[in-house]
Amino acid sequence: MRLRFLGLLLLAALSCRAQESPYFVTYDHHLEEPGNLDIEASATTDAPRAGQKFFGAPWMEFEYGVTANWTTEVYLEGQSTYGDSTVFTGWRWENRYRPLKRLHLVNPVLYLEYENINEASRILKEVEGDAPDISSPNAILRLEPDHELEAKLILSSDWHSWNFAENFIVAKNFSQSEGFEFGYSLGAFRPLGTIASGKDCRVCRENFSAGVEFYGGLGSTQGFVLSDTAHYAAPVFAWLVTENSTLRFSPGFGLTHESAPVLFRVGYSYEIQDFKGKIARLFGAKH
Amino acid sequence: MRKLLWINVLIMPLALGAQNSTYWPDPNWKAPENAAAQTNPLASRPDLAAGGRKLFLRNCAECHAKDGTGKTKKHSANLLIPAVQLQSDGTLFWKITNGNTGKGMPAFSKLPEPERWQIVMYLRELKTLEAGR
Repeated sequence: MRLRFLGLLLLAALSCRAQESPYFVTYDHHLEEPGNLDIEASATTDAPRAGQKFFGAPWMEFEYGVTANWTTEVYLEGQSTYGDSTVFTGWRWENRYRPLKRLHLVNPVLYLEYENINEASRILKEVEGDAPDISSPNAILRLEPDHELEAKLILSSDWHSWNFAENFIVAKNFSQSEGFEFGYSLGAFRPLGTIASGKDCRVCRENFSAGVEFYGGLGSTQGFVLSDTAHYAAPVFAWLVTENSTLRFSPGFGLTHESAPVLFRVGYSYEIQDFKGKIARLFGAKH
Repeated sequence: MRKLLWINVLIMPLALGAQNSTYWPDPNWKAPENAAAQTNPLASRPDLAAGGRKLFLRNCAECHAKDGTGKTKKHSANLLIPAVQLQSDGTLFWKITNGNTGKGMPAFSKLPEPERWQIVMYLRELKTLEAGR
């Protein structure tokens, strides 16, 4: 069994590729290719306001292309607050489905996610409703469950070498009576080089992309307002470090008093091509 | 159109030596006329096909094999057969861009437009490379 696991790791290392968009919060219409598994380790951290504590919130993503128009993804997340504690904050399962076969000027993608997390979650994978509580201790927050169903309408367009994406979020927390919460995310990015050189270079423009995203909460059915909500403007950068891995970075600047002054996000993703086939071969399939 | 289909039927046996000899083009996967009529804006720069090779190996070879002959287990197209090579540059560009998601071919619109045209250039070179073998 151990040998098989080692074999799997070796196979994974031999043939992989990744070319991720630089967005952290916004989704575009590009889905994972069928049979591929993308593994990503990311973290969100902040520069706190006076009276607040520094935190770091790491998460792992496992993104799998079920078909060419359906991608499923599992998240595991945690959080560590300086001078407080480190806690596991839960898991999420999301699905994205692109209903149209052909590309159009605007491409819709339907998104549905179940979250089994608690109120200590800080990864801020999306911002919705009112601003999150970042002052209470973890011991209290982790006891408050957050079983949430979240839907997004993702609209995304490719125009020349640019991508423009708009996400509209509605979420319902079944653990608390807070109505439906709303949020948004907008993004645009472009590769820095649009022509591939014949050389195998790593630090050349074609391997970098840059853009910006804006995201925030829009309140809830109990108060559809912009006050008491967090909003961010975040430049985003991605670097195709190797054929199989991408490094992403984004500083997010808070635009309202309810936002953290600055959020820093970093992520490293690693794609395993034909993961399904490799697993099948590992367990004896002929091809 | 019917003439093209017959050409495919007659020529298909010639491709039986290729890796995916079972491939048969999806008759419903057609580029719109205006897309098919597009010409490659990079055609005057054949040196860019080298970048197309790199992109092909990165994005396409997993399913279509490094030599472009396709893989039976992936049900992927043999890109050397006339049924593919007789298609216009615009058609190939449109197919790379849109994919054929119902048949497992993903859309590659995430690549910048010039890079997709570079892949089209390399697909044309594949035919020449095959002839030289």
